[in-house]
Amino acid sequence: AHDVKTVGRLGGGDRDGKMSEIKKKIQSILPGGDWNPLYDTSHLPPESSDVVIVGGGVLGLSVAYWLKKLEKPRGAIRVLVVERDHTYSRASTVLSVGGIRQQFSVPENVQLSLFSIDFLRNINEYLAVADDPPLDIQFNPSGYLLLASEKGAAIMENNVKVQRQEGAKVCLMSPEQLRNKFPWINTEGVALASYGMEHEGWFDPWCLLQGLRRKVQSMGVLFCRGEVTRFMSSSNLMKTASGEEVNLKRIHEVHVKIDQSLEYQPVECAIVINAAGAWSGQVAELAGIGKGPPGTLQGTKLPVELRKRYVYLWHCPQGPGLETPFVIDPSGTYFRREGLGHNYLGGCSPTEEEEPDPGNLEVDHDFFQDRVWPPLAQRVPAFETLKVRSAWAGYYDYNTFDQNGVVGPHPLVINMYFATGFSGHGLQQAPAVGRAVAEMVLEGHFQTINLSSFLFSRFYSGEKVQEHNII
Amino acid sequence: MLKIIIPTAMLMPMTWLSKPNMIWINSTTYSLLISLISLPYLNQLGDNSLNLSLLFFSDSLSAPLLVLTTWLLPLMLMASQSHLSKETLARKKLYITMLIILQLLLIMTFTATELIMFYILFEATLIPTLIIITRWGNQTERLNAGLYFLFYTLMGSLPLLVALLYIQNTTGTLNFLIIQYWAKPISATWSNIFLWLACMMAFMVKMPLYGLHLWLPKAHVEAPIAGSMVLAAVLLKLGGYGMMRITILLNPMTNQMAYPFMMLSLWGMVMTSSICLRQTDLKSLIAYSSVSHMALVIVAVLIQTPWSYMGATALMIAHGLTSSVLFCLANSNYERVHSRTMILARGLQTILPLMAAWWLLASLANLALPPTINLIGELFVVMASFSWSNMTIVLMGTNIIITALYTLYMLTTTQRGKYTHHIKNINPSFTRENALMALHLLPLLLLSLNPKIVLG
Repeated sequence: AHDVKTVGRLGGGDRDGKMSEIKKKIQSILPGGDWNPLYDTSHLPPESSDVVIVGGGVLGLSVAYWLKKLEKPRGAIRVLVVERDHTYSRASTVLSVGGIRQQFSVPENVQLSLFSIDFLRNINEYLAVADDPPLDIQFNPSGYLLLASEKGAAIMENNVKVQRQEGAKVCLMSPEQLRNKFPWINTEGVALASYGMEHEGWFDPWCLLQGLRRKVQSMGVLFCRGEVTRFMSSSNLMKTASGEEVNLKRIHEVHVKIDQSLEYQPVECAIVINAAGAWSGQVAELAGIGKGPPGTLQGTKLPVELRKRYVYLWHCPQGPGLETPFVIDPSGTYFRREGLGHNYLGGCSPTEEEEPDPGNLEVDHDFFQDRVWPPLAQRVPAFETLKVRSAWAGYYDYNTFDQNGVVGPHPLVINMYFATGFSGHGLQQAPAVGRAVAEMVLEGHFQTINLSSFLFSRFYSGEKVQEHNII
Repeated sequence: MLKIIIPTAMLMPMTWLSKPNMIWINSTTYSLLISLISLPYLNQLGDNSLNLSLLFFSDSLSAPLLVLTTWLLPLMLMASQSHLSKETLARKKLYITMLIILQLLLIMTFTATELIMFYILFEATLIPTLIIITRWGNQTERLNAGLYFLFYTLMGSLPLLVALLYIQNTTGTLNFLIIQYWAKPISATWSNIFLWLACMMAFMVKMPLYGLHLWLPKAHVEAPIAGSMVLAAVLLKLGGYGMMRITILLNPMTNQMAYPFMMLSLWGMVMTSSICLRQTDLKSLIAYSSVSHMALVIVAVLIQTPWSYMGATALMIAHGLTSSVLFCLANSNYERVHSRTMILARGLQTILPLMAAWWLLASLANLALPPTINLIGELFVVMASFSWSNMTIVLMGTNIIITALYTLYMLTTTQRGKYTHHIKNINPSFTRENALMALHLLPLLLLSLNPKIVLG
C-alpha cells in the first residue's frame, strides 16, 4: 500500500520519484499489469464486490473464511473485508484474554464453543497455506473452574446437565474434592464447582487472527484499509401478510473512506456483513437500523455498545502451579495462569454503576486495588503477596439486551447480516459463528448449528437469550 | 434502401431536439417504425438479389440480418432505460446517439454492394461500440476490455484491407454483384495462401474463432446492456456475413486452407461449452456460449455446401435473438441484486414467476429445442459437417449435450431452489422488461412457423 505520497512536488526536485512513476506506468501497461490510464487506484478497494464485510477482526475474518470455503463453485463470490485499523490496536480480538470454554447455560453457546475448539485443535488442517509455516496457537488445555456459592449451586447443576447433553466434558466438584485437587484454593463460601476436563483452556488470539488473515488472503479475499462512512440503499414500501406497511431496504453501495484522506470509494455490493465488534452499533445506525418510532421493528436499534474492561498481569512466586485452570469466582473475579514464570492474568467485570468511560483505553489501577485484589486474595491466599506487572484495557462488544451474540440477517435491511454482540465470548465462538453466517448467506438457513434464537428479531419480540452465571 | 437509412439518420436530430421526458418514447417508437419498414425486404424473389441501387442491395442472406439489426434498436433502447436514469440529459442523448450511429453503420454494412464500402463500414462500427463499452461500462476493467476489443479486431482486419485493394487491382471491381460471375478459381501459391488468410482473419476474429476469442468475454462482461446486446446479436454476425461473401472469391483454395480453422472451431466449440459449466458470473457464461454457437457458424461457412449455408444463416438469426434475450435477463437480475454471481440470486421463480417463464423460454431456445430455428440451424450444420467428414458427429454431439447441460445449469441455479434471504425485496418485473423479453422471443417463436425466411 502507498502510505506516503510526496505532496507538492514542484518541478526540478525529486528525480527519483519521477523515474519510479514512469517505471510503474510502463510496468502496468505491459501485459499482465492492470492498466488504468486515468490515475493510480491501487490503494482503493474495487468498485464492486459481492460481499462487503465491515470489520476485520476474528469474527469478520471467520465469516470471510467460511464464505470462501463453503461456496460451491470455487472462486464464485468476491469478498471484500474493510478494516479501519490494520494494527488492530483497539480491536477486541487481540486485547482478549483468550479463553475458550463450553460451560454456558444456553445450549447453542455450548455447541458453538464445541465446534470452535474442534477448529482450533485442527487449525493446521483448516488454515493451511502452501509454503507457509504451520500455526502454533499455544492452546493450554487447562480447563475452566467455575465456583458457585450456595445460591448458585442449583443453577450450576442445571447448567452442567445442559452442557453434558450437548457433549461437553464437565465434572462437578464438592469443596472437599476442590481442596484435594487444588490445595491453593480457599473454599470458604463455595458450595459447588464445575471443572471442564477437556476442550477448555486458553490460546493466543493474535495467532488465530494472523492465521485466518493469511488463509483468507490466499483464498482470494480482498482487504481494504478504510472506514465505512455511508450506505446507499434503495427502499421499497411493502405490505406484510397482516396488512401493515413496512419499509424494506436494500443496501446497494458502501462508501469506504480511505485512511487519512478525504478520498472515498463507492463499492457496489450485494450483501453487507456487520462484524464491526464494539462499533457495530454505529455501523448499524449508518444503515438506518433503529430510525423509527421506538417500539416498532423499524425503531429497534442494534443494542451493541462499547464497554471497557481491564485486564491485569501480575507476578506471584508462591502462586498456583501449572495445573491452574481458568478460575471464575462467584464474585465475578477471574484469573488464569500466563506462561511458565508464575505470571497470572485476571480481572473482574464491573457492575453497571461502576462502568468505566469507554472513550479511551486507559487503565484504572485503583480498580484493581479495590475490586479485583480483595476477592482474589480471599480465594487464593497466596495472592496476598502479588505484584502487578502491567495492565491493559479492551472493549467488549456488549449486547445490552441479553449479552449474547446477534447472528443473521436484519428483517428490514434485507441484505445486512450481523455477526457481532458476543459481549466477551466472541473470540471463542468465532469459527462456529463464521460458519453459521456463511451458511445463512449461501443457503438461506442454518445448517449445522441452529442459531435462530440469536436472530435480530428477538430485540423486537423481547425474547431474551440470557446466560445464567456468566461473566 | 434510402427509406431506411434516412429515417435512421434523422433519429439523431430527433433525439437531441426531444423534450426531456420524451426522449425514450420518441426514439423507441420511431425505431420500431423503421424496423417495420425493413420487413418487406424479407420478401425475396427466388435466387437473385434485390438490386436497389448502385450502392445498396439486399438478398436472402442480408435481408434477415438487416431486419434483425433494425429490430434490435428499439429493444436496446428499452433495455438501457433503467441504468441510464441517473445520468444527465446530455449523456443520455449521447448514448442514444451512439446506438443510432451504430445502427446506421450496421444497416449500411449489411446492404453494401461494394466490398471496400463493406470494409469501411465494418471498421466504422468499432468506434461507437468502443465508446459505449469504455464510457458506460460498469467497472474499471472496461478500459482493458475496450482495448482488447479494438485491437484484436483491427489487427485482424488490416490485412483484409490490403487483400481487398489487391483484388480490386487485379479483378478491376469489387462490386459484389459482378464479382460473383467474375471470380476465377485461384491456385495454391504462397501469395494466394496469404491472400486467403488476409481475407479470412478479420472475420475469424470477429466471429470469434476459438483461439482468437479472448476479447469476447471481456467485452461482453464489461459492456452495458445495450452494448452486450448489440455485440452478441449483430456484431458477431458481421463476421459470419463477411465470411460468406468473401468465400466466393476464394475458391477452390478453401478446401485445403480451411482445415486448421475447422479443427479450431470444432475443438473450440466443445471447449467453450465446457468452460460455461464452470462459470460463476452469469454474463460471462452467456458470452462463452456465444463463442460456442458462433464456432458452429464458422464450421458451416467453411464447408461451403448449400445446406450448411442455410444452417449458418438460420443459426445466426436464432443466436442473435437468443443471446440478446439472455443478456437482457441477466441484466434484469443484475439491476436488482447488484451482483452478477449466479449463486447469490437463487430461487427467483418463486419471487418473479413471469420472468421465470421468459428465462425458461430463452433457455429452451438456447439449447436448441425443436421446433425453434436454433434447432434447424444446428441440425443443418451437423448434417452438412457429417457429410463432410463422419468423425465430426462425435464433437457436434458432445457440444449439443454440453450446451444443454450448461443452459439447464444456468436455469436451475437462478430460478429453482429456495430463494436466499437477501433477495426478498427485489422490485417486481417492470412492464418494460416483460415487453422487452416478449419482443425478443415472439419473433423467435414465430419464425419457427416459417423458417423459410431465414434460411437464405
